[in-house]
Amino acid sequence: MELFRLDAMQVADGIKKREFSAEEYIQQLLERIDRVEPKVNAFITINRKEAIDKARSIDKKVRDGEPVGPLAGVAVSVKDNICVKGIRTTCASKMLENYVPPYSATVVIRLDDAGAIVIGKANLDEFAMGTTTEFSKHGATRNPWDISRVPGGSSGGSAASVASLECAVSLGSDTGGSVRCPASFCSVIGIKPTYGLVSRYGLVSYANSLEQIGPAGRTVADVTAVMNAIAGSDRNDHTTLDMKPDYSSRVPDRRFRIGIVKEFLSGADPEVAKVVYNAADILTKQGCKCEEVSLGSVEYALASYYTIAMAEASSNLARYDNVRYGFEMSSEGYEWNSYYAKVRSNFGEEVKRRIIVGSYVLSSGYYGKYYLKAQQVRSILKQELKSLFKTYDLLMGPTMPILPFKMGEKIDDPIKMYLVDIDTVVANLAGTPAISIPGGFSGGLPVGLQLMADEFQEQTMLDAASLFESVTHVQRSPDL
Amino acid sequence: MAVTKDQVKHLGWLSRIELSDDELALYAGQIETIIKYLDKLDTVPLQEVKPVVASKKFSDLRDDVAVEFEADPLGTSYRKEGFVKGPRMV
Repeated sequence: MELFRLDAMQVADGIKKREFSAEEYIQQLLERIDRVEPKVNAFITINRKEAIDKARSIDKKVRDGEPVGPLAGVAVSVKDNICVKGIRTTCASKMLENYVPPYSATVVIRLDDAGAIVIGKANLDEFAMGTTTEFSKHGATRNPWDISRVPGGSSGGSAASVASLECAVSLGSDTGGSVRCPASFCSVIGIKPTYGLVSRYGLVSYANSLEQIGPAGRTVADVTAVMNAIAGSDRNDHTTLDMKPDYSSRVPDRRFRIGIVKEFLSGADPEVAKVVYNAADILTKQGCKCEEVSLGSVEYALASYYTIAMAEASSNLARYDNVRYGFEMSSEGYEWNSYYAKVRSNFGEEVKRRIIVGSYVLSSGYYGKYYLKAQQVRSILKQELKSLFKTYDLLMGPTMPILPFKMGEKIDDPIKMYLVDIDTVVANLAGTPAISIPGGFSGGLPVGLQLMADEFQEQTMLDAASLFESVTHVQRSPDL
Repeated sequence: MAVTKDQVKHLGWLSRIELSDDELALYAGQIETIIKYLDKLDTVPLQEVKPVVASKKFSDLRDDVAVEFEADPLGTSYRKEGFVKGPRMV
């Protein structure tokens, strides 16, 4: 039996019923990783010993009749900007190449309590800044559907590891689409939760007012189970709200009013738009009411997003001085400022670009012109969404306006690269939840469907995803 | 507005990032294009709009109590007689 092909819920069920052991499952996954990693490069670190040790402890608990948790034995990859105690957390950067956190992120502790096994740390764009996972010191991750193409980013390792059957589920972080974009490009499901639903304690900061940790998985049931494990208040993250949701992945009886955002489709590749309209037809046949709506301020969303993200990045990344969390470089012969500037030249190209633009927009005389206006656009966007959600349960469009593109195609043109985030940044600016679900294929390449809901309406989003999943059969993992 | 190599060098200094001549040349052009794109914000009539503020009731702040970690929380190798050794200030 090829255990590595099982979804998370099948794994937990099989282990609890003693149809196979957690150790057998993990061993098979490690062999799978050894086979496919030379092609995909989804991992920065593989936790062989720790994963096998945890699997054995779960098997013992099952044998002894002790409770093992809803995700018993399920292998999860964790984006390498989320701390796992005792395991290197590099953010795919030279600046953190030796950093071993002395604590685990809240989400990691909660997954561990639910019985999940961290099988490895997933590749990303350096400090989560990118759309392709090409900006990694560890080398680019490749799209498992076509290894000459990008897997999306910045959580490219997370989505690629799930699609490549190297793990069942993954944790990524989504600042402007970083879970949904690679989920779309790799034909898996990715969620960006409502701001304040999931703790970010232990996530290396990039842009605090935008980012959330979210899961990637191959089925709605799998990502729902992860959400149930990780969501809820945390005393170590003051931005979390006092709640503990319990989501369901059952196919719902209710039908939805869905607004198709015309601005998301007007600039999209016609092949991508075709898949979205086809999905709308499928949902309409199921009894949903789909109609076109307008979200006018989308035009300014990207400028607002990049202003805020880069401003927050330039502030957050000021902490890297190589005295704390550093790499080996002697300070002999340097004074403070020259040493600080020298070591920080080791940030990668995209990170340096964002820090510098962030410093520019926050400079004296420019604050009102850029940052303040960006925050005002954010207000308008929130108001527009609020008004649409009075009429519609969900808003729909493509997750990405284009198909997965060739490696290196946009790497030398930052604006071209930024423009592809147009559909995903809206949810981050507004703090609302969004999900990318596999919508179909065009020329063998995946197209993701994005559903957005009002704040804390994750259940509505999951319900619609379950309904769509129940009547479509979009392939989740390629032959590798 | 044109972004010059000197401006990028100054921004690099403000950000404490040493940039090579090649990087200055590369970034000057790219940052000018990025800023031009961000100038789009200037075309939005926003005088009456307030910037976004959080309206949610976030969780209470935890007590400010020091937490002992088993391992080194600073992740630094620059230790000397119980102190972290940084570069000289002048």
